Amino acid sequence: MNWLRELGSRVSMLLQRGKFDADLNEEMRLHRQLREQEEIERGLSPDQAHYAAQRRFGNDLLLREESRDMWGWTWLENLFQDVRYGLRQLRRSPGFTAAALITLALGIGANTVIFTLVDAVMLKPLRVANPSQLYRVGNGDNCCVIGNRGLHGNWGIYSYPLYQELRDHTPEFGSMAAFQAGLGEFSVRRSGLSRPTEPYVGEFVSGNYFTMFGITASAGRLISPLDDSPGAPAVAVMSYRVWKQHYGADPSVIGATFIINTMPFTLAGIAPPGFFGDTLRPDPPDFWLPLSSEPAMNGENSLLRVAGLNWLLIIGRLNPGVPLASAQSKMTVELQDWLSTRADLSAYDRSTIGNQHIVLEPGGRGVAVLQAEARTELRLLMVVSALVLLIACANIANLLLARSAARKNESLIRTALGASRRRLTRQLLTESVLLAALGGLAGLYVAFAGARTILALSFRGAHYVPISPSPSWPVLGFAFALSLVTGTVFGVAPALAASRCQPGEALAGAGRATRGRSSLPSKSLVIVQVALSLALLTAAGLLTASLRNLESQRFGFQTEGRFVVRVDPALSGYKLEKLPGLYQQLDAHLMQIPGVTSVAYSLYSPMRHENWADDIHIEGRPPDARDNASFDRVSPRYFETIGTRLRSGRTIGRGDTPTSRPVAVINETFARKYFSGQDALGKHFGFHYAAEFEIVGVVEDAKYQAARRPAYPTFFLPFLQISKDPKLSYLVASHYVGDIELRMGGETHNLDSLVRRTLADIDPDLAVLDIMSLDEQVARNFNEDRLVARLTALFGLLALIVACVGLYGVTAYNVARRTNEIGIRMALGARRTSVLSMVLRGALLQVGLGLALGIPAALAGCRLLSSLLYGVKSYDPTILGLAVATLAACTLLAGIIPARRATKVDPMVALRCE
Amino acid sequence: MHHGEIPPGTLYLLILEALSWSGELHGDGIATWIEPVSDEVLQVQEGSLYPASQRMLIEGCVTAKWRVTAGSSRAHYYRLTPLGRKQLEAESQFERVVQAITRAMQTA
Repeated sequence: MNWLRELGSRVSMLLQRGKFDADLNEEMRLHRQLREQEEIERGLSPDQAHYAAQRRFGNDLLLREESRDMWGWTWLENLFQDVRYGLRQLRRSPGFTAAALITLALGIGANTVIFTLVDAVMLKPLRVANPSQLYRVGNGDNCCVIGNRGLHGNWGIYSYPLYQELRDHTPEFGSMAAFQAGLGEFSVRRSGLSRPTEPYVGEFVSGNYFTMFGITASAGRLISPLDDSPGAPAVAVMSYRVWKQHYGADPSVIGATFIINTMPFTLAGIAPPGFFGDTLRPDPPDFWLPLSSEPAMNGENSLLRVAGLNWLLIIGRLNPGVPLASAQSKMTVELQDWLSTRADLSAYDRSTIGNQHIVLEPGGRGVAVLQAEARTELRLLMVVSALVLLIACANIANLLLARSAARKNESLIRTALGASRRRLTRQLLTESVLLAALGGLAGLYVAFAGARTILALSFRGAHYVPISPSPSWPVLGFAFALSLVTGTVFGVAPALAASRCQPGEALAGAGRATRGRSSLPSKSLVIVQVALSLALLTAAGLLTASLRNLESQRFGFQTEGRFVVRVDPALSGYKLEKLPGLYQQLDAHLMQIPGVTSVAYSLYSPMRHENWADDIHIEGRPPDARDNASFDRVSPRYFETIGTRLRSGRTIGRGDTPTSRPVAVINETFARKYFSGQDALGKHFGFHYAAEFEIVGVVEDAKYQAARRPAYPTFFLPFLQISKDPKLSYLVASHYVGDIELRMGGETHNLDSLVRRTLADIDPDLAVLDIMSLDEQVARNFNEDRLVARLTALFGLLALIVACVGLYGVTAYNVARRTNEIGIRMALGARRTSVLSMVLRGALLQVGLGLALGIPAALAGCRLLSSLLYGVKSYDPTILGLAVATLAACTLLAGIIPARRATKVDPMVALRCE
Repeated sequence: MHHGEIPPGTLYLLILEALSWSGELHGDGIATWIEPVSDEVLQVQEGSLYPASQRMLIEGCVTAKWRVTAGSSRAHYYRLTPLGRKQLEAESQFERVVQAITRAMQTA
């Protein structure tokens, strides 16, 4: 307990510092006085007595300091002193302070922005109970392709019967919940109100979904296992955000009836705030429905009971203490056993059962789709922003070096007055950390503003992104730590340089140096800056070129003047029989909108990022389980409307009716792959085993899904030629129109409302999900590429500016220091041009060395980018050359300005200025 | 260690000893008490006892109070606390220190 009491008395001394100090002073004064008197009594003169007493007592100033040291607060007092002094120094040179603070704010801000994203996307767990116990069953990425019937190998997506099997036979999991892989689009209306239906998104979840996550309702109750049983009354759960924003947190919605896709649901309750479902994604679910209500809603298209249709993801809570590996191998066995009981598997599938396996993946952050997608980009951005900060540090270190040289006199005098080297170093370090801390504060502001912009850039097209741009505690901590590290990094060199001086120098002749000792480190800092900036600029150039290549590539369709209207008649309860009536009217009605020159509709429009692939059989070709292709259903005039060119034969026309002969149009890749260049017209093929379609046309390749890959082999079918084969009944969903394409002849205002009104005229229940230009639809495919390219370009620009400022600073500083020398040279007859070249030579040498180092650095660094680049090689000489030229030109300019100033030096003034 | 500087810790013990003999002393009194003991061999500057006394105040070995002296001027009086007394007893090595000093005197 002694240390505690000691601490107590130390604190009380700190608090009553003044009193203790005064006591000590008084005490010591009295002591000396007494001695003086004694000496006088011994017969000394007052003066002699005074000195004698002084001698006996010792150096009272030093002793007082020593005594105060005993209180143990010297460091704190020194710190206060240093901070006060540092602030005064910063105020005294506002130009320097502003330059340093801006550089720092941008550097720290850039890093904090990226860390905000990393924190939100990669680090934050779901807001559920004990997220570390959650595991996702399977990490195979074969999401969302409804027609995917083949076996996956590495599983990640399951049918409902398989989910039941796994759930009921794996006691290692305390609970295991299933939910839809992709979100469904719902049209929702509160019953009894005259509000129109509104589009929302949601998912079907198993009854134990919410209990598995361990969350409770913020109002009402959540879906329970009882709700998820056949025949149970249909209930729904609403997200907190929708309740708050669309229903004004009205408590009366709980228990109310909502019409979701024409089916009545009772709203059981509201999910807790901060719960955005099982997956971090833009536009998270607004509604959750029990899986048991799926058959009623989807009718004959229901997925629930089909053993071979995989559409559910599984997350479970693993019991504590269960080894992961054993649970994993047990589930793999269960999977294989279950598959071998299935009679409907093809011989090929059957032969691959032994390869089927399940991997358990930590599920505390939910289904990590976004994380997997964003990992490369975020890593790249982290490296880039760290580089910017490094350059900023080098720059500020340089500014500080220049300043500490200017402040040399000050430190010399302080040393001469007895300041220790440690104290001097600490003072300078305090100043730089202070600077960094202020910069960090400004950086937080930059980060907050930047995070908003970045979120908007990366999730273009999203209505709501469940990622907050405001800095969280980890982000604040990160920014603080970064400031400290930064301040120390750029402060160490100047502080050491300053503390190395000898007091003798101060007396010998202040600041007359012609060749300063500080110029070597400061020159190498400039070289490093130039090299790093070159690497950044090259990366920025490559990514920008890659983005341009992506956006301006030949897609195989035209975007100009084209618009896409996304609809879903299935949401409004359209049955198959009603579709022909709808399709007949679409064309005629939409053509009446002024400016519309062509109308078409299809299951998918190009670059919508959706795809339906299925197994096919080519007549005359031996059956092969690997034969498959993507397909789309299109209306007459479809290819004309989106601008895809016909290569041979004809397109789908009005004559292709339900009763006419089944036809198909294929793309060039399909023709190449399955007919190896021979004339495909007149040949036959079909789904799985039949060969019911006759090929009547070949169109040019157009990209529908992956912009970086060549077009998939694709065939196009008319909308209403419906197969009578019962085994193909699952294709029924493909007959529903998904996108309407409009081609506009000129500018049209309020197209949006015109289209909505026209479609409402046809059927008021027909839900319009979205309307956008085809350009916008294409652009949304490149959100991440755009984000990375723009940010890298921005960071590259920052680096360029900072490097120029750095070179300018060093050159200007050298000119200022050598004014005297230059004056003498000119007085002795040196020409202006020779002075100019003398000064410029130094600057050019640094730039040259920087470039020489930077080119290999850029080449090596950009190789890491290769996987992100499209249509441009990482060693593209044009871009590298361009980066070198830009950097050389800018830095040259930064060197010339101070060099010209050197030539204007008036010899007389220069000589007199000492 | 420069010649004439006292070994660390010795001054504390001397102060503790002084206070335990005299009960209550001000700085000047402590210095006067120490002087004959150290027999001028140690040549302590009298001021040195102030850093030491500050240290002992913090440790809680002594307390201090302003009081009026016989000569009706003010003085800061130090007094041992129970803790200080205990410390002195524990370190009755004091004898040994004195012996050490004596040895030092003989070799000097």
